[in-house]
Amino acid sequence: MLAETSHPVAAVQLIPHVRIDGLNKWFAALQVLKNIDLSVRPGVRIVVCGPSGSGKSTLIRCINGLEPFQKGTIQLDGIALGRNARDTATARRLTGMVFQSFNLFPHLTVLANCTLALRRVLLKPAREAEEIAMQHLTAVRIPEKAQAFPAQLSGGQQQRVAIARALCLNPRIMLFDEPTSALDPEMIKEVLDVMIALAGSGVTMVCVTHEMGFAREVADEIVFMDEGRIVEHASSRDFFSRAAHPRARLFLDTILSH
Amino acid sequence: MGFDFDFALSTIPTIIGAIGTTLLATVLSCLGASVLGFTFEMIRRGGGATGLAVRFLIDFIRSTPVLAWLYFLYFVLPFYGIRLGAVTVGILGLSLYYSGYLAEVFKAGIDAIPKGQQEAARALSLTRRDTVVFVIAPQMLRNIAAPLGNYLVSILKATPYLAILAVPEMLGRAFDIASETYRYAEPLTVAGILFLALALLISYGVKRIEQRLLAAGRR
Repeated sequence: MLAETSHPVAAVQLIPHVRIDGLNKWFAALQVLKNIDLSVRPGVRIVVCGPSGSGKSTLIRCINGLEPFQKGTIQLDGIALGRNARDTATARRLTGMVFQSFNLFPHLTVLANCTLALRRVLLKPAREAEEIAMQHLTAVRIPEKAQAFPAQLSGGQQQRVAIARALCLNPRIMLFDEPTSALDPEMIKEVLDVMIALAGSGVTMVCVTHEMGFAREVADEIVFMDEGRIVEHASSRDFFSRAAHPRARLFLDTILSH
Repeated sequence: MGFDFDFALSTIPTIIGAIGTTLLATVLSCLGASVLGFTFEMIRRGGGATGLAVRFLIDFIRSTPVLAWLYFLYFVLPFYGIRLGAVTVGILGLSLYYSGYLAEVFKAGIDAIPKGQQEAARALSLTRRDTVVFVIAPQMLRNIAAPLGNYLVSILKATPYLAILAVPEMLGRAFDIASETYRYAEPLTVAGILFLALALLISYGVKRIEQRLLAAGRR
């Protein structure tokens, strides 16, 4: 009904956090993203999957401006990325990113890794920054390692710290770029558990992963990419029960047969 | 005419009297070369026309003799109305000359930092300046502590070049004694030993700092 959809609250809900239109990207002559259209509404958790080289990591790195693109638009809460430096910076502030290889700062303690942006970007005083950081370190269940250096932690612990570090800036959109791919099998669960807990908090998530169990449990929608295109974008239930594209079927059969 | 031990001892106070100048020239040249070298490297890294110009400047500096720099600054600049004291010219010359080398050292130290570090800094919305100060520079220093220390010792050992500008540093003072007494072995030996002592001291200090840097969160 018109009256209902034009209600201010409903209208806000309908504005997508992430809106990608006609995105194309080339690495020199190689086109790695082809006509990507994707909207991510607030609170929605999207898993992006597909074979390696399909462009999923490149796509997610475009969403916070780490990768430039040549054609199309990306808007975060209506702010365009890649048009000018100021808007890009404003849009990027809405995002938090977790990398495959953690990328913690090795010369800083766990706590200092988390407080750096709080102090330098949000200009919080030291005490307040530490309190915020400790809250997030507690949420990822690693507060006791606050004074440790990254090298003293296991891979799983480092990735949980990286998640806490990203959360410190209170992002509206969390981006995960294969967060468990560099981990030993026994450490994958502790990271996924943290991400599942995070999903319950209502934050918008875009996650590139091969963890189909996690996708089934957490994702609202699944995006399947192949050769730089989105070939399937469906609700999680539909994707797992009746993915239409043969490439997606093949992928699911291979992954789920393990 | 053998080595006169007593004469050698008697030259020590005079030569040590110049240690202040030697240390001043060393410390200020190290600082100047580091600041200039890091600035050059940052500009070169920025690319573009200025980056290219600085790249040529660095190569130019490294391809010319340090004596040429000192003579040039001391004898040619006054023609253009720029008159600087001998000590100033010496420090300026050594700073410029070694900045070219240190830029290369800084480059190696930054290249060795994984790309993900800068990406993490960008993802956290750190400014470029903050990324350099809080993420890149500390890791760079850790990577280059050893070669940087070598260059600091090199700069100490290059301060005798300043003698050509009549700066009263240690080797120059030793040579003055030699010219007056016609005895070369003793004052030059004393100067040599003093340089050795200073160099060992700097090396030791650098090693200590390096160990401390490495101890903090070894990768």
